[in-house]
Amino acid sequence: MNPIDIATIRKKLGNSADIVFKEFNIQYDNRVQTVNLIYAEGFVDTNAVQDFVLETLMVDLPKLDTDKHPFLDFMTVGDVQELQSTDMMYHDLFSGHVILIREGTEILSIAMSGIKDRAVSEAMTETVSRGPKEAFTENIQTNTALIRRKIKNPNLWLENLRIGKMTQTNVSIMYINGIVTDKIVDEVRSRLARIDIDGILESGYIEELIQDAPYSPFPTVYNSERPDVIAAELLEGKIAILVDGTPHVLVVPALFISFMHSAEDYYQRADISSLIRILRFVGIFIALLGPSLYIAITTFHQEMLPTQLLIGLAAQREGIPFPAFIEALIMEITFEILREAGVRMPRTMGQAMSIVGTLVIGQSAVAAGIVSAAMVIVVSITAISSFVVPAMNMSISIRMIRFLLMGLAASFGLYGIILGIIVLVLHLCSLRTFGVPYMSPFGPYIAQDTKDTLIRLPHWAMRKRLRLINQNNLTRSKDKAPGPERR
Amino acid sequence: MRRTLMLTMLVVTITLTLTGCWNRRELNDLAIALAIGIDKAGDQYMVSVQVVDPGEVASNNRTSTRTPVTLYQAKGQTIFEAIRKMTTVSPRTIYSAHLRMLIIGEDLAKEGIGDALEYMSRYYEHRTDFYIAIARETSAASTLKILTHLESIPANQLFSSLQTSQKEWAPTASITLDQLIMDLVDKGKEAVVTGLRLRGDQEIGQSRSNVEQISSPAQLQYSGLAVFREDKLVGWLNDIESRGYSYIHDDIYNTVGVINCPEGGKMTLEVIRSKTTTKAKMINGKPEIRLGIRTELSIGEVLCNIDLTQKSSIYELEHQGEARVRGFVERTIKEAQENYKVDIFGFGDVVHRAYPAYWKQVEDEWDSIFETIPVEVDVVFNIRQTGTVNNSFMQEFKQKKE
Repeated sequence: MNPIDIATIRKKLGNSADIVFKEFNIQYDNRVQTVNLIYAEGFVDTNAVQDFVLETLMVDLPKLDTDKHPFLDFMTVGDVQELQSTDMMYHDLFSGHVILIREGTEILSIAMSGIKDRAVSEAMTETVSRGPKEAFTENIQTNTALIRRKIKNPNLWLENLRIGKMTQTNVSIMYINGIVTDKIVDEVRSRLARIDIDGILESGYIEELIQDAPYSPFPTVYNSERPDVIAAELLEGKIAILVDGTPHVLVVPALFISFMHSAEDYYQRADISSLIRILRFVGIFIALLGPSLYIAITTFHQEMLPTQLLIGLAAQREGIPFPAFIEALIMEITFEILREAGVRMPRTMGQAMSIVGTLVIGQSAVAAGIVSAAMVIVVSITAISSFVVPAMNMSISIRMIRFLLMGLAASFGLYGIILGIIVLVLHLCSLRTFGVPYMSPFGPYIAQDTKDTLIRLPHWAMRKRLRLINQNNLTRSKDKAPGPERR
Repeated sequence: MRRTLMLTMLVVTITLTLTGCWNRRELNDLAIALAIGIDKAGDQYMVSVQVVDPGEVASNNRTSTRTPVTLYQAKGQTIFEAIRKMTTVSPRTIYSAHLRMLIIGEDLAKEGIGDALEYMSRYYEHRTDFYIAIARETSAASTLKILTHLESIPANQLFSSLQTSQKEWAPTASITLDQLIMDLVDKGKEAVVTGLRLRGDQEIGQSRSNVEQISSPAQLQYSGLAVFREDKLVGWLNDIESRGYSYIHDDIYNTVGVINCPEGGKMTLEVIRSKTTTKAKMINGKPEIRLGIRTELSIGEVLCNIDLTQKSSIYELEHQGEARVRGFVERTIKEAQENYKVDIFGFGDVVHRAYPAYWKQVEDEWDSIFETIPVEVDVVFNIRQTGTVNNSFMQEFKQKKE
């Protein structure tokens, strides 16, 4: 190994001010050796450096016979590695390691991470009333630990990768060996290996780079910030992709139906969760079709309404200048603006906006005769319904398609809506996610796997794993309906 | 790729031509017609359409100075022509899918309703679930000009009133368009249509002051059944005969009847359930009709001295009731056989079903056979309940006085 020139390293790092170079001499056996200590400010725990590195070198070392042994043997720190070249050094340097260079020959990388991470806190987007509250953090080590804590099994395997030519982001693939189908893991590996982007700042980057249908409005990669959800998916034989720096962990393959399931469905009793799921599908139906059905029926199929309702709706539309479609569009876009503003604006503005949103737009628009009260009701119930979709990305897809269906309804009535739905179903059935049909277990229909779809059967009744995902290890349990032992 | 694109375009273009009757109309472009009245005006038709003013009906912004409905009238050689002519007075096209009532003037009914029904059955907007009534001793137009209480839309009032009276009172018949047309073309049954009378002052009835008083000066009332031969009105059944018709035609859902007590005084019985079976029998090559009426009742009102705790008195009452019902059922049949000479009960259909071969021979002269067909009426009453009490408190009251 060539002697390492500290000046070269310094130059390579552009003399950045936050990189600390410390050069000192240590003495032992009446000899003097030069040692260089390099670390990035803010990344390392300086107390630990003081206690374990400097003290070892300056106090303990003179008592030992070091000629025969490298420093590596003396370090009183667990994670110490000897590096073979300086190229490897930089990634460690920015992962919270201290680099120790002895006499320009031996390079040690000592883990002394002192990065200030956000503590594990409550999940913000996927809230449950029963179930664990914890959510992932931005630190990938914390996240893998959170998952491992749920599945204490040597078969939970983890593969590390570095993706992003500039960012060198840590990405991990996690799966349970023995349940997962190897072909799917290979597919994930190869898709990740193909990525050639310069920077990965969030798992969304990875999602876009590996998904199956980039032009489809539907997400084919699932994500969650809840360790329990990820653990459940791993147990179903799926593969988690963790990305350093984000609490959102990806899961593939992602079936359409899993976007409709919430973690709590598995924690509440089966009958309750089944009813709630049915309610959720009703909500999704409204979110998708609410305004378009209203438009179609009031402008094409007035004979479908009960007479009293027709007269009531007609009374509300008296004096409304726009066609029902434009009316719906105005209200829908207004709502989307309100929603987007609600997400982006500073929290303190919330009250002001809710007043403007409800009073000015809700009431005054009706009073001013721009939109009818019935339309406000339809748009509101649609808006609320779109939030019953547990997965945000699926909810957005449904919102986008809603606008398309509104256009179809306005031009062709129910006929248009049906055409739209047919196209939608065809499209959904044509999608695949990492080789698995997106609509399974409905298309193709696998009766066994529908136990956990529109409803959820009790855990003791779901004895098999999903057939298309776990092709070799299907049996989940041999449980039977519980009860006192029969004698 | 190009092929897929072309194919998609082709499919889209083709499917768009498959839409059938395609018509986009906003709700506020519709004049929602809830009742149509058809009268004779010389050799033309006078069509009156009751159209809702939705703003006046909806509960929140009622001004109470305008009427909830308006009437558009037009004359034409045909009904369709007249209705389209109405756009000269109406700002919106008439939308009649929500039609509740079709009223036909008595004059027109006497000349024949077939031509009027042709348009009603053909036009694509019409459903067949509206009721048909004959304006009795008045014109259809004038019955549509009466404002009503409770239901602010008169057509709705007529619709609900007919529905409830059929269910709770029986001597009315809620006939829909498809039923009526079926009766007209059916050789084994002639049509009956319920009659609608206008009571009181027509002048006041047309104005808002009709509904500004607790007791409306002008009211619409269903009364009697119009008897048709082919499509022409030939006469009316009175209320008793109408009830008889309802019994024979198995239209009784719930009604009340007054009977005499064995020892004088009166009593009201309420029908809870009733079922009529009509059967045809060939006796010596001649058809005979057997009517079996099974009725379950409860005692509704006791205005006489009777011990209801005794089985025998209940049986006595049942016999009284049976006799009474048999009486007016037979009277109704006699009226139809002797007076109008038309088979409004559908006995022909019963014979047709039982003896199709025989029916083939006689179907063209059925009316003359009907005139003399013997009808055996068998009524069975079952009194199931006596209401919430047994004997009337009036009996104890009388005993105390003595």
